[in-house]
Amino acid sequence: MTTLSTPSPGSTNRTSETGGKAPSAGSSRRGARAAPARRRGNTGFVLACLLPALVLFAVFMVIPTVNVFRTSLYTWGGFSPDKRFVGLDNFRRLLDDEQFVRAFQNTVALLVVVTVVTMSMGLFLAAIMTRQRLRGRNLYRFVLYIPNVLSVVVIAAIFSAVYDQKNGLLNGTLRLLSLDGLQQVWLGNQRIVLYSVAIAMVWQSLGYYMVLYMAGMASIPEELYEASALDGASATRQFFAITLPLIWQSLRTTLTFFVMSAVNLSFVLVRAMTGGGPDGSSDVLLNYMYKQAYTNSSYGYGMAIGVVVFAFSFLVSLLVSRATRREPLQF
Amino acid sequence: MRRSLVLTGAAVTVLGLLAGCSSGGSGSDSGKTTLKVAALEGGYGRDMYTQVIKQYEASHPDIDVQLQISKSIEDEITPNMKAGRYPDVVVLGQGRKAALTETLIKDKALEDLTPVLQAKIPGENKTVGDKLTKGIVGNLNTNPYGTDKTYLMPMYYAPTGLFYNQGLFEQKGWKVPGTWDEMFALGDTAEKQGIPLFTYPTAGYLDSFFFALLADIGGEQFYEDVMTYKQDVWKTANARKALDITTKLLGYAAPATVGYANEQDFTKNQQLILDNKALFMPNGTWIVGEMADAPRAKGFKWGLTPLPAVTAGGKRYITTSVESAWVPSAAEHKDAAKDFIAYLYSDEAAKTFAQSNAIQPIEGIASSLSGENAEFYKVYEDPSVAALVGGFASTAPVAGVDIKATLFDTANSIISGDTTEDKWQAALNDASEKLRQAGD
Repeated sequence: MTTLSTPSPGSTNRTSETGGKAPSAGSSRRGARAAPARRRGNTGFVLACLLPALVLFAVFMVIPTVNVFRTSLYTWGGFSPDKRFVGLDNFRRLLDDEQFVRAFQNTVALLVVVTVVTMSMGLFLAAIMTRQRLRGRNLYRFVLYIPNVLSVVVIAAIFSAVYDQKNGLLNGTLRLLSLDGLQQVWLGNQRIVLYSVAIAMVWQSLGYYMVLYMAGMASIPEELYEASALDGASATRQFFAITLPLIWQSLRTTLTFFVMSAVNLSFVLVRAMTGGGPDGSSDVLLNYMYKQAYTNSSYGYGMAIGVVVFAFSFLVSLLVSRATRREPLQF
Repeated sequence: MRRSLVLTGAAVTVLGLLAGCSSGGSGSDSGKTTLKVAALEGGYGRDMYTQVIKQYEASHPDIDVQLQISKSIEDEITPNMKAGRYPDVVVLGQGRKAALTETLIKDKALEDLTPVLQAKIPGENKTVGDKLTKGIVGNLNTNPYGTDKTYLMPMYYAPTGLFYNQGLFEQKGWKVPGTWDEMFALGDTAEKQGIPLFTYPTAGYLDSFFFALLADIGGEQFYEDVMTYKQDVWKTANARKALDITTKLLGYAAPATVGYANEQDFTKNQQLILDNKALFMPNGTWIVGEMADAPRAKGFKWGLTPLPAVTAGGKRYITTSVESAWVPSAAEHKDAAKDFIAYLYSDEAAKTFAQSNAIQPIEGIASSLSGENAEFYKVYEDPSVAALVGGFASTAPVAGVDIKATLFDTANSIISGDTTEDKWQAALNDASEKLRQAGD
């Protein structure tokens, strides 16, 4: 956690000043000492050991990815031998495709809403559980983590029961509280169906990120909190001045993971829960890609959408990584 | 020494991986032809296939039939097909989500099966063409390019239409409406008693509704025009009339419909019929099996009716779903495949299929049916009712245009008020026009 990316040369000095307290820094130094001792003959051996992994990586990652990019330049149904090269036509057509634009908007909306909500709630809950020594926190942690081990199809089934317009948990509770006016057709109203999906996504991933942050927070030395408490810092102040800066690196990493997994999760969930409906109002990019590539027999066009998804995830991850870059702090 | 062992190990691993990727050729060395048959495990089950294959193998000792059958057969055969290993015979209809049949049609990757129609059925004196019900081949379902060449052999057929509870109609003393005017009058009556007139499982089920409605309004020629994307066909008065009737009908839809019209909840819409909470829904004969274990209102009895006529005494069409058997043009044993398909229409095979309620379009077969099925197939006996087969013509795929989605899914937005009939008509015209251009 301490040396996730350390571009500044000063950071190495600082670790040595702290007496190599951080374990990862220590091990990397040992590695550096061993390096010159490695004999030349070892290179072949190392390469041979790497070969299987490299072959697997090439066969299952590199070649398919290159194929996606290549196929996106063709018109092709998926089976026939006659592929027609159309250059960037598929991409040009994407711009005029209203349903694609809608799916893109939905994906972005889900990404923003779900990321912000999950991250802030995860941080908040983790802080409460580690700092406030909450009674029964292991139970809470367990309960909040459960959704993460459930299959997405199960989650879709659970939420379709929760959202059921007649005897669902949500509308039932609202009726019980005499808030009948707030009852909604959660999966049938085109204006709210996307948020219904978003809530299911938050529910699924919240526990996982909370546990990650809790682990990060647990390793922050207690002295820092004691010292700041003596200086009269409130719990809120401690969170923003101590906790947040010290887990910043793990926050950055999880954010990047999250952006990528949210794109995938939204597809599986939408497919199982709403099918992109009603009338395409909850469609997301990957679902639309699937529909075009298979149901509409436009494999090349589908792959063009795949390229957009690839570029988009890449770009967002890069932006997130850039925007959150800070000088890493250590304790 | 140890190092060389490790190196050998690594090399073996790599070779193993590569070999694993390329193994699995055809394995027919014993002089027998291995015929690979892939079939969708639909509501009819898998036993009928194993039985028919056993009978076929008994009379054809030189052929070894390998059956692959699954509820998601597309997922199982597609990877092999992409790698160039095709099944010889596939029994799979159109309208499935994976759209494998449609894709191969669009890609022109099917074998011409016109010769099968003239082929003699193994062990019988008749040809396949002699036995088939008249009018079942020669439409867009079997001849997808609108030519006289047949690429898809019709395997089983089933009527689709409006399903309702006969028991409820008897209790209330209602008559099943014969015209749309009567239909909407019934809608008003039922509404007063708190029963909505209409629902659908998901909007995709409107296919059986729409195709019949188009033919009811403008006859088979108009239906054909729509299916082949004739220029400006959606701007005609007939098309507007179809949308008018549909929009009005959707106004009578059960309020729960849209919220349940998805993969998870569609059975809840079907349940509305069983619970007497909606009167009619478009569906197919499989509904009986699908909802067999569901609770139902007292005195419930499934009924099937064609759509009401547009004018009193007018001709009514019943959309007939037909599953097909086809041969990929890349198949290895095409001749054996054609012979096998011909055998599927033999008396022996037809009997086995009919026992599992899989009804083939063979003259005179409907008389051998019993139970609910017999009643469903009776709809064809009404002289004013005709079977309607087919669907949208195949064109080269047009990226981003899915006219079925435009025609059916928009119903959700019509009910919820998110779009208007005018916009619907414009979108249909636009999609149809793009497909027409791709077909030229």
